[in-house]
Amino acid sequence: MTMLPRTIEMRPVDPQTGAPVGPLAQPGYYPDFHTLDQQSYWDAKTRAVVIDRVDNVPPIRFFNGQQARTLTAICDRILPQDDRDEAHRIPIVPQIDRRLFEDIGDGYRYEGMPPDPEAFTLGIEAIEQIAQAMHGRDFASLGPPDQEHILRSLHDGTPGAAHDIWLRLPVERFWTLLVTDCVSAYYAHPYAWDEIGFGGPAYPRAYMRLENGEPEPWESEEQRYAWNPPRWSVSGAFEPVGGKEEQPASPSQGGMH
Amino acid sequence: MKAPPLGAFAAPNGEPHMPGPIQRLPRPMRTFAPGEEVDYVVVGVGAGGGVLTQRLARAGFRVIAFDAGPFWDTERDWVSDEQGAHDLYWNEMRITGGDHPLAFGANNSGKGVGGSTVHWASFTPRLHPSDFRIHSNDGVGVDWPIAYDDLRPYYELIERELPVAGPAYYPWGDPHNYPYAPHPLGGVGDALVRGCTNLGIGVVAGGPVAILSGSRADRPHCIYRGFCIQGCKVGAKASTLITHVPDAIANGAEIRANCMVGRIELGVDGRARGVTYFDPAGRERFQPAKAVVVAGYSIETPRLLLNSACSGFENGLANSSDCVGRYLMAQAGNVVLGRFEQPVRMYKAPPAHALTEAFYETDPRRDFARGFAIQTVGPLPIAFAKQMMTAKGAWGWGLRQVMMDYNHWAAFGFLGELLPNAANRVQLAEERDRHGLPVAKITFRLFDNDKKLIAFGKQKTIDVMGAAGAQEVVQEARYAHLVGAARMGSDPRTSVVDGFGRTHDIDNLFVCDGSIMPTQGSANPGLTIMALAARCADYLIAQGASIFTSSRRDTQAPPVRRDLSPPDTAGHGMPRLRSWRSTAPSR
Repeated sequence: MTMLPRTIEMRPVDPQTGAPVGPLAQPGYYPDFHTLDQQSYWDAKTRAVVIDRVDNVPPIRFFNGQQARTLTAICDRILPQDDRDEAHRIPIVPQIDRRLFEDIGDGYRYEGMPPDPEAFTLGIEAIEQIAQAMHGRDFASLGPPDQEHILRSLHDGTPGAAHDIWLRLPVERFWTLLVTDCVSAYYAHPYAWDEIGFGGPAYPRAYMRLENGEPEPWESEEQRYAWNPPRWSVSGAFEPVGGKEEQPASPSQGGMH
Repeated sequence: MKAPPLGAFAAPNGEPHMPGPIQRLPRPMRTFAPGEEVDYVVVGVGAGGGVLTQRLARAGFRVIAFDAGPFWDTERDWVSDEQGAHDLYWNEMRITGGDHPLAFGANNSGKGVGGSTVHWASFTPRLHPSDFRIHSNDGVGVDWPIAYDDLRPYYELIERELPVAGPAYYPWGDPHNYPYAPHPLGGVGDALVRGCTNLGIGVVAGGPVAILSGSRADRPHCIYRGFCIQGCKVGAKASTLITHVPDAIANGAEIRANCMVGRIELGVDGRARGVTYFDPAGRERFQPAKAVVVAGYSIETPRLLLNSACSGFENGLANSSDCVGRYLMAQAGNVVLGRFEQPVRMYKAPPAHALTEAFYETDPRRDFARGFAIQTVGPLPIAFAKQMMTAKGAWGWGLRQVMMDYNHWAAFGFLGELLPNAANRVQLAEERDRHGLPVAKITFRLFDNDKKLIAFGKQKTIDVMGAAGAQEVVQEARYAHLVGAARMGSDPRTSVVDGFGRTHDIDNLFVCDGSIMPTQGSANPGLTIMALAARCADYLIAQGASIFTSSRRDTQAPPVRRDLSPPDTAGHGMPRLRSWRSTAPSR
């Protein structure tokens, strides 16, 4: 078991000074850009959908308390928000819970994968088993470095325990499902749009500066700052999933033609 | 807070300002009495079913067109939001397997009036003349029972009806031009033009896309908001929901939305006599018809034919060839992403706005047959995050960090022709949907030519991104579009329908969607599906009532009906088209 200093620094750091970054109301390179300020320019339906997402965080109805606690700890490492202040953190687990509770699917399931609700239940159980096998503690009470190493083993397709579950739940597919649900919640939120400088809804007003990446009059120029993940973190490295195969089974299907 | 520079779009009476008039549907819509026999039932109102229904109605036939999904009110139902567009897709369960399983849902499958055309990016290139005879030319795949020249007049009609905006001169395949002006370039198109030009590769920009570059009648022009594949709330992007369905209703067709057709019923004479469907309340009903046209696309069409198995047709309707569900195709659709020093902001402009078909044809110097296109795509933040997850293996702090650079990335879509294979197929699963109907199970894998084509095309796309000036280039493997699984052919032993879409086995049962395509080229299939539907309509109209009673099969091509376009769409634009043809050197 890794013994952690109580004062482990959770925040990213400035590579020059070593000083922690945040907590900020708005991380990212567009500090004076807020999509919600533009809502009077959006159509009524879009405005209602986006505002509802911000104001009405759905209650936990699908997961039990322990599952929700574990999944919250998992999501805190898959999309860490330690550079955000408390008031501007983006809820992820409630959105996953709502999707599973309301049985909202994406129109297909890979052969050999259980239905999404069962996949999440099994996956959380498997992660708990790994935490117990490796550290004798539940996942949520582990330090972030140990949590990251467990998640990294899922990312790499080499989980260290719960092999009977992974026989029913292909680990690569579960990892893709988990990260997909996390990013679908995080980057659907206007705080995340502000963070990355995405202009957001533009009907009926339109965009007019199409070339050269120029901002609209109501958008902002980028103001970059350097930052690195916390020193203990292993999630800043990039290792493509399934990268060895020439044309791997394609798991994300993000773009369209 | 930045003050809005123009003030809010709100008129004194509190009504929202809109960029153009919002289309109004003709009211009231005709509704046929319960149990009243009609001439045609069309199953599915997408690219194929929408165009076909419009023409049949305009020619005076009594038509009911079913769709399993809703009849969209775009102003009240649709949003400028990635997550909020979820309901546009076919979200009911399908099982996907094989060595290279396909993704469905948002990737390629619509549900609701307009079908997938409500969420297509609306690239509308034509097939090339060579696509219709790849077996004769290259010894791969299969020839079509029709030729490019059979479809050309229908391409020209549909390009005006949508209409298509594009370059004044389109150099590949059968060179042609477009009725609406090309769109201005976004940052991704600019990168594609720059990269291709630096490598000496021909490229066009501004189309061909079925997006209005100028207002037309009750449809406003594009406003470059970038949410094409979330449903065009502006009304600038063509979908049969706004291009053909209104005219179908004006001419007496009934659109029966939220009704899932579960079976095609046969009479004792072996002819289709109608369909059994589930109404919006889930009650099972029967709709009699003199002829049935299936237009449910490459998964639901074979699923319906297989689910309609009955005495004498134990393996499914129109399946004496055992080809129903087989020869399913997707196109290779790898996304190549490049990071640039200067911002790109790829969320602006339509995702579809520039492409090259310079590698479309078979090149004997390469070790594979057929080719590919390279096109712009414009993933919005959630789609881009998924691509970073796959292409870079990003998660945790790394994912947050690369996402903060979203505005520095551009994305190209490689679109490669995969060849038909009998092993790639749609079958029925054990699992059932909420109506008790077995769901589709899809098996897909790549074969040797496919793998070589992908390896070459992927690298070429990476090279173009590099030549455009990208500092870092990564790629994600994926597949785009669907066609096949009820293919057309001259031989009833190896195909499901003839060159007009008529099933070989049942005289008054037709298929009119992408599933009839025997091969796919590396063109986006939407325009070709619509052109095939317009040709099918001309055939049905020319045959008249004999379709309903006779088993005689006329193989004569019908006259091209140029008078059946929706009002005020034919005959516009196309400067120099005729003179170009007459003076073009033979190729």
